[in-house]
Amino acid sequence: MATRILRRTGVSNEICERLKRREIESCKDLLSLTPVEVMNAAGLSYEKASVLLQSVSKAIAPPFTTLFWQALELWKQHSDSCFSTSLPALDKLLRGGLPRGTITEVTGPSGCGKTQMCLMLSVLATLPKSEGGLDSSVIYIDTESAFSAERLVEIARSRFPGYFSSKERVLQMAARVHLFRELTCQDVLNRLERLEEDIISTGAGLIILDSVASVVRKEFDTTLPGNLIHRSNLLSHEATTLKYLAHQFNIPVVLTNQITTHVGDQGSAVSAEVDSSFVTAALGNTWSHSVNTRLIVQYVDAHQRQILIAKSPVAPFAVLNYTIQKQGICIDGCVISHLLSMECYSGVRVHRAESSCCSVFPAHIHLLQKKRRDTLGWKQISSHSESGSL
Amino acid sequence: MLGYVSWRDVLKKLTLAVTMQRPVSSLPLSPGMKLKLVGAGFQSTADLILLKPLQLSKETGLSQQEALEVLQAVRKDGGGGEGSTSLTALELLQKEEETRSIITFSSQLDAALGGGLPVGKTTEICGAPGVGKTQLCLQLAVDVQVPQCFGGVGGQVIYIDTEGSFLLQRVIDVATAAVRHCSLLVEDDEQRAAMMTFTMETILSNIFLVRCHDYVELLAELHLLPDFLSDHPRTRLLVIDSVAFPFRRFDDLSQRTRLLQGLAQQLVAMATRHQVAVVITNQMTTRLQGNQSQLVPALGEGWGHAPTIRLLLQWAGSRRLASIFKSPGNVDATVQYRITSDGFRDADQSEQPQRKRPRTQTDQSASSQPDRRLLRCLSDV
Repeated sequence: MATRILRRTGVSNEICERLKRREIESCKDLLSLTPVEVMNAAGLSYEKASVLLQSVSKAIAPPFTTLFWQALELWKQHSDSCFSTSLPALDKLLRGGLPRGTITEVTGPSGCGKTQMCLMLSVLATLPKSEGGLDSSVIYIDTESAFSAERLVEIARSRFPGYFSSKERVLQMAARVHLFRELTCQDVLNRLERLEEDIISTGAGLIILDSVASVVRKEFDTTLPGNLIHRSNLLSHEATTLKYLAHQFNIPVVLTNQITTHVGDQGSAVSAEVDSSFVTAALGNTWSHSVNTRLIVQYVDAHQRQILIAKSPVAPFAVLNYTIQKQGICIDGCVISHLLSMECYSGVRVHRAESSCCSVFPAHIHLLQKKRRDTLGWKQISSHSESGSL
Repeated sequence: MLGYVSWRDVLKKLTLAVTMQRPVSSLPLSPGMKLKLVGAGFQSTADLILLKPLQLSKETGLSQQEALEVLQAVRKDGGGGEGSTSLTALELLQKEEETRSIITFSSQLDAALGGGLPVGKTTEICGAPGVGKTQLCLQLAVDVQVPQCFGGVGGQVIYIDTEGSFLLQRVIDVATAAVRHCSLLVEDDEQRAAMMTFTMETILSNIFLVRCHDYVELLAELHLLPDFLSDHPRTRLLVIDSVAFPFRRFDDLSQRTRLLQGLAQQLVAMATRHQVAVVITNQMTTRLQGNQSQLVPALGEGWGHAPTIRLLLQWAGSRRLASIFKSPGNVDATVQYRITSDGFRDADQSEQPQRKRPRTQTDQSASSQPDRRLLRCLSDV
């Protein structure tokens, strides 16, 4: 909208010519100027410059609607505002599922089940509405080459044996998942710029980007000066594009992220048994603002895993236990508790960070941190991940 | 030739010219006209006072229409330009006592703010992701519609969403809870009648939602807002959630600063002229100082001057705290709050009982404090 050419908004040719000489051709260029600059560029008096700005604004500003009409529209179309994840406990907490038109992030350590979750959601999206799906294609942007078509088929066959009993249905489902392999940041950005056309041509109802963090962390070394700003700019650009697409087409967007260790302040008075660092989602604080819903997956021990709802406009903090089976993700029974204080987290030790800086997450949302690498060791977990997941 | 002009007129104009002289380049005219005026030798408005349009056009080469425009601009400036009327502080005090504040349904925060968010001023809410900024904005969007006999403002709200975090379902939850609260408080017929106007349908129809995808759409929307506010005089709240998101990927920081200053000026002008409370949400950014990193509000130091009141929402362990860290009329304070399924509420129920709250000497009719009955009921729930 902002790149609309001035000539098309009804501005007179003479003024367009004058502005063109100063290289002001689109609405974006004009509205980025102050009124005095507009006066100088267009050669108009103050009042006329204000009128010009008003008319150009009218051409590109999005319209006002009252919520009442929006609610009525939603009710008339019988459209759901959520994408059900087929995990009833999670859906109940999220009041229906992953909200459409917003960005949902799944973050966690490697091998925990993020790609499994993405594969499972891809299968769900292709199911017809009667089975709880979106009946649409899926756009899967893969940056780590972790996508496996065999696993997709296995999940489909195990989770919905009744529906995928015949081979054509399986092949039909597989044909609806469109995979794009992008291995550099610039490739990802180019793909996102062109995604609008892809969404329309494939009739996509779900966008999955797995993972955002891997390309960015490979290419940007944040210890070098200036790289942090570039990285933030790139991520903001990606976030803005994805939000725009999600909103315009009213589809859910799912991203995966990695985790990083946040080193606490060395100088603060820290008691001996509490570590001063904690793990949080990668990509920084700015990125945390950009996602609308954040789900954290983590290990409890070698066999148990958990999914936490860390940021959501409708759900409180909550923890669910799950395991990864042949049919994808299975949630065991009930919610542990709604986390209000650390004591609720019974039976599991949580290391609390005592850092002096204002923490991005509340302390009890910090991921479990292994104090010494050999207890429960990363080695054990990595072998588990090689066998159990992809 | 001047023609016949009375000496009295000339004296009057000369006096005005001496007291109010402006250089020609500062007049609100197009640059082409100013060039011609300066080229013909007119340096200040004093030179133009005694002229008629025809003579001006002959001397400068402007068309008759343009010459008339120049003289009108000069006259408007020199003649009636005493500036805006001045107010005494007493009149302002009376005006301030009449305007109500927008309650937040958290009585501790309302008490710290002196009644709630003031109408006619800009307030900024900043905080880490997930701490509750959007929740507070949604709560305010419902609270501004509470009828006046319950202690509210009874106005409409414009909600500009730049992040896509506005969810209809959540507004419905918050509105249901608010309607339930107020219907428990109904005591007389006036309030019963007012409850008819405070239902789910009316609440939803009084919220105007706009979704802006980038900073250009946001600026365009703000250019159009003054007209919208004149058409809808009942609007009492403008929420921009958030103002930081569209401005975070700017390469040219000086342009960003200029645009933000312009935006801030427009918001302040709208707040005072149309008696609207402007609420802006800001994000936090990491600032590196040597080895330490600190979270500070985004958009730079200069932006901090724009809003009148600044609230910081943060975590302390597992508690949520709201701090006022810039306010000309209130002491800096920190209160605890929580987010429930009903919306933004006080943290615990064991707050001080009603009688210990300091009494102010304002009377009920012109009070800027929220209605005591509403406060009492909130602390009971």
